[in-house]
Amino acid sequence: MILGRDGIAGLILAGISLVLFVHSLGLPHLPIVPVGPGFYPRIVLGFLGLASLALVAQDAMAQRARAERAAGEPRNHRLVLALFAAFGAYVALMPLAGFRLATFAFVAAVQALLDPPRRAAQWAVLAAVALGTVTATYLVFETYLLVLLPRGTWTGW
Amino acid sequence: MFELLGDGLVTMLQWKYLVPLCLGTLIGIVGGSLPGVTITMTIIVVVPFTFGLDPLQGLAAMTGVYVGGSAGGLVTASLLGIPGTPSAIATTFDGFPMARRGEPGRALWLGVWASFFGGLIGGAFLIFVTGPLAAIALEFGPWEFFSLFVLAMAMVAGLTEGSMVKGLISTGIGLLITVIGTDPITSVPRFTFGSEFVRAGFPFLPVLIGVFAFAQIMTDVEKLGRPGTRAAAAARASASLRVSQLKVLGEILSRPFLLVWSTVVGIAIGVLPAIGGSAANMLAYDQAKKFSRHPEAFGTGTPEGIIASESSNNANVGGSLVTIMAFGIPGDAVTAVMLGAMTIHGIQSGPLFVSQNPELAYGIYAAYILAHPIMVLILGVGTLFLLRVTRVRLAVLAPVVLVLCAIGAYALNNTMQTVYVLLTFGIIGYVLVKLGFPLAPLILGLILGDQIELNLVRAIMTDADPLLFLTRPISAGLLAAAVLSVALAMWQHLRHQRRVATADGETDF
Repeated sequence: MILGRDGIAGLILAGISLVLFVHSLGLPHLPIVPVGPGFYPRIVLGFLGLASLALVAQDAMAQRARAERAAGEPRNHRLVLALFAAFGAYVALMPLAGFRLATFAFVAAVQALLDPPRRAAQWAVLAAVALGTVTATYLVFETYLLVLLPRGTWTGW
Repeated sequence: MFELLGDGLVTMLQWKYLVPLCLGTLIGIVGGSLPGVTITMTIIVVVPFTFGLDPLQGLAAMTGVYVGGSAGGLVTASLLGIPGTPSAIATTFDGFPMARRGEPGRALWLGVWASFFGGLIGGAFLIFVTGPLAAIALEFGPWEFFSLFVLAMAMVAGLTEGSMVKGLISTGIGLLITVIGTDPITSVPRFTFGSEFVRAGFPFLPVLIGVFAFAQIMTDVEKLGRPGTRAAAAARASASLRVSQLKVLGEILSRPFLLVWSTVVGIAIGVLPAIGGSAANMLAYDQAKKFSRHPEAFGTGTPEGIIASESSNNANVGGSLVTIMAFGIPGDAVTAVMLGAMTIHGIQSGPLFVSQNPELAYGIYAAYILAHPIMVLILGVGTLFLLRVTRVRLAVLAPVVLVLCAIGAYALNNTMQTVYVLLTFGIIGYVLVKLGFPLAPLILGLILGDQIELNLVRAIMTDADPLLFLTRPISAGLLAAAVLSVALAMWQHLRHQRRVATADGETDF
């Protein structure tokens, strides 16, 4: 039996449910409370585990349909990965470089990533959008809404 | 009641509240008209801006976004053939053919006025029904609340498109997220694995923003580079949207049954937990076609199709607000975000909300009513501008929205940890969407998880007899409805599979 994507996802979720279920059995139980802290999580994990196993079974029975499934439209997964990486870098950079520098770099980099500029005018628009985003968000949140946005440990700014 | 409503309207007409309401409605219309940007995404972006406002200002802004967004989707649906939001899909079926045959103004304004009337009838329902429903909910004990929440989740999981098992798993994941952290009764940490941050549980809003916003943006980014239609269609759209408003109003008001029935469908779908405008407009369109004397005209640019779709999706807003205000259950993803924002503002939604916060409740009613004429005014003045806005490239939109999401998460308690939660759940949300898991049940599980646990434990602590869930009439009725809902969904799923198998067999042969 070869499992498809759903079956593998179901197995992973069932595994996580089992591990957490076992973990919940070790939670301390206070005698004054009729149900312990693990009571409700065990109901949830039991439900999740059973539903995950049902997904595995459903996937195993649907192998023919899977084999016949036509390939969908092409998807740009590399761009998605790059965008996640860029956001990860932004989140990592924010406490070091500060909100303003990190946001400028992030907005500029993502624009360049999703729609690379070719002419000088396009670079100017890219920079203007990045600068405009930083200025507008900083003014609105820090000045008007009094949210103290992150300062950078490297820059102090 | 009318005195409180009058006070609410007077309050809302003060600049302090009118400005957030107008801005919210404008932003909602813009967000709703942008294909790929849903109302949920728009309200997620707006929420951090409400942190610095007083609760009623924030709620006025969010109500404006909700009403504006529900109407905004019709602009691109009618003029470009691209629904701005899923709740305007059915508007495309007749709005775009009407616009293409040279009547873009008629198509647009039929939708605008239908939204207006549908929304106002939905508003009347909201005002008159929320109080009595909340009074019924006050009679509920922990058994009934537990059963009500189970029904809500069963309905959402059962009504998800595609695999019902995936809907149930998605619900389970949402519930699992809520059990991570300290136990609400004994304060014992659960599944924290030594992390002090996780000890308090995952904050609701960053999880919600991460799951929804990232899944949406990344799915749009995947499609980047395909032959675009939005800009080209925008360029093709007729510049003249002139039409006789009296004639359009006459066309709508001469079909009172269609208007009222579509509105009722919208309200009913709105009241049901977490279904939303996308189902409301399709169902109302289907009903209008069935009741029509000329069903063959549907899809060719008939006014009935536009009126049904648009009156239902704005009425749906009223229904969703009833559910959130009377029961504390979100009617859809947008009200889920509103519920989260209300919690941040220290407002407890639920059966006591109207009686304990009459100024806020009637302020919301007033904001909802006033948002409709504001929406008509904005669309009257700014439709051509909106068509230009729809040309904004995803390359510009995506980073700006992501920055606002990061600020929204950070501003919650001024720590970077909430931004890390945002990123983590952004990845989880995207992976789940790629694996075909619906997000609506996850969100509902996330919102209701704590309440389900509290009510279950309260019920057991009051009386350890589990049969009380089945012997108390309301609780038993709600649980029976939950079982029926899942059984019905399974039956529909099996019937669909059999039909597909039969069709395959005939084709093979």
